[in-house]
Amino acid sequence: MNLGECTKSAFRNVFSNKMRTLLTMLGIIIGISSVIAIVSIGNGSQAAIEEEFESFGTGSLTISLSGSNDIETRDLLTMDDYDMLKEVEGVSYVNTTYSGRNTYIKLLDPQETKSASVSGVTADAQYIDNPTMIYGRYISQNDVDMRTNATVINDTTALKVFGYCDENVIGEKIKLKTWKGTEKYTVIGIMENTNASTETAYSDEFPETVILPISTAMRLYNNKNLNGFSVLIEDLNQTEMMKQRIIMALEEFHNNEDKYYIQDSSEMVDSINSILSYVTLFISFVAGISLLVGGIGVMNIMMVTVTERTREIGIRKSIGAKNKDIKIQFLTEAVILTGMGGIAGLVLGVAFAVIIGHFAGITPVLSVSAVALAVGISMGIGILFGVAPANKAAKLDPIEALRFE
Amino acid sequence: MELLKLEHLTKQYSQNELSVTALNDINLSVKDGEFLSIMGTSGSGKSTMLNILGCLDSPTSGSYYLDGEDVAKFKDEKLAEIRNKKIGFVFQSFNLLPKLSSLENVELPMVYANVPKKLRQQKAIAALEKVGLGKRVKHKPNELSGGQRQRVAIARALVNEPAILFADEPTGNLDSRSTIEIMEIFQGLNDDGTTIVMVTHEPDVAQYTKRIALFKDGYIIKDELVKNRILAGGGIS
Repeated sequence: MNLGECTKSAFRNVFSNKMRTLLTMLGIIIGISSVIAIVSIGNGSQAAIEEEFESFGTGSLTISLSGSNDIETRDLLTMDDYDMLKEVEGVSYVNTTYSGRNTYIKLLDPQETKSASVSGVTADAQYIDNPTMIYGRYISQNDVDMRTNATVINDTTALKVFGYCDENVIGEKIKLKTWKGTEKYTVIGIMENTNASTETAYSDEFPETVILPISTAMRLYNNKNLNGFSVLIEDLNQTEMMKQRIIMALEEFHNNEDKYYIQDSSEMVDSINSILSYVTLFISFVAGISLLVGGIGVMNIMMVTVTERTREIGIRKSIGAKNKDIKIQFLTEAVILTGMGGIAGLVLGVAFAVIIGHFAGITPVLSVSAVALAVGISMGIGILFGVAPANKAAKLDPIEALRFE
Repeated sequence: MELLKLEHLTKQYSQNELSVTALNDINLSVKDGEFLSIMGTSGSGKSTMLNILGCLDSPTSGSYYLDGEDVAKFKDEKLAEIRNKKIGFVFQSFNLLPKLSSLENVELPMVYANVPKKLRQQKAIAALEKVGLGKRVKHKPNELSGGQRQRVAIARALVNEPAILFADEPTGNLDSRSTIEIMEIFQGLNDDGTTIVMVTHEPDVAQYTKRIALFKDGYIIKDELVKNRILAGGGIS
């Protein structure tokens, strides 16, 4: 008996008792759909996190003052450090980490204000942070040198401040309110909101992003001390060496020790990803138990089927079916049962992932390997749990089987 | 030519150290073109005999030559092949698969013989036409009468062109009209050269065959040609 005949006959039998088939597949469906949903959501959040970090700049090093040690005035980071770091061999770009506090931006309605997160940047920031410009341009070296009142905002901020977001916003003015009073800044560029994928970006608690040239920001807050730097190095494979070189350069420059701390973004991504993959693994393990239970269900039903169809087995044997033919027939039925369960689970799992993703603000990512694994595992379960019933069927004595009522 | 030959064939069943001899030193030969009926009361060993002849069971000792091969020593796989290629089986309870149509039931032995689909259908339709069911190919067993079901079973038994046809009480579940119909088909097949061995406990039915072997307690006690044979088409030969 060839496999085509076998499959045709197996489908006929599987579909002849639809309710039983559905109930038998349920265990597999639940198992596979949870694995698929969890894995896609997991992959989706992983991708989202990576994207988030990519917007900070891949492979960039973050330099900050160590929090634990006593900090003296001579340890503080200033634009002098910026000039020094630019000269360090192997350093491509340097951006300043500088944010102002207690700043409010005036919204469309002149009576309304909203808190703003103001960052002071260097012209290098565009190479490190990789902002996606929608209109206009980014902060230039000239803006920094001339301390211009130029500012870059993102699209959501533009909508809130001006009520629209198109090229006409370029050249318009925003008003920032600090303890010193209100100052006007000219919008020179609009960039994409990198937090747009998360729900919080639209909530009112999330401050509006305002980017100023570092020199302009320092004048606004009357503070020349930087929080730190982000640095992009030429060769990402030299990360460890460059970390040491930068620390040494800073320590030499400030004549101090153990005051600075460097972290590379890939470290953070790795640690978050490893936590995520543990969570995914654990939940998949639980789902695996459901698959095991589903498999036992399939075995149980296949055993019942073999008993019910004893006479059929006897008839088939009497007209020349070999033990092997009978075995393959029942094994095919088990595999079709679990395979269909697997495919149904796959579809359901994707649906779950999309629904969960919609509410959690994550775009689920379905990988080809997950699909192959789901279908493969479900069919594997069919083989694993179908062997015993199929062997039972194959070993039936034809005379006994023919006598079976 | 001897198509079937049994030499000192014995079958014993042992259960809980208790041994029962179902067949005792049976010697029997059937020539090509014969129509033999095996008769006997229940427990006489006739069913055991047919199971062994049909290669569904193996003898405890002795030889069984079928078409020149000693099948008594064959194992499961080889026996399945013999059942598929050399033997046609007709049962009392028809033993058709209820979910399959007449055509599909008749095709089944060829499925196991790996006959290509197209040829399989052609041969199955031809076999059904031969038993007068050319217009019932799509019907399922439950849409057919007892006599028609048995005719589908005969078509199935013949479709792989076996060397011999075995029938186990083929008319046991049929009314007298269908019985005559089936016997007519058997006699027709036999006239065309098909060798038939039929088990029955009805003397009337045995009268349609050419030779009767009478079994009792595992022995053949009588083996003679049929005088006054009934012809299903009408008349006595």
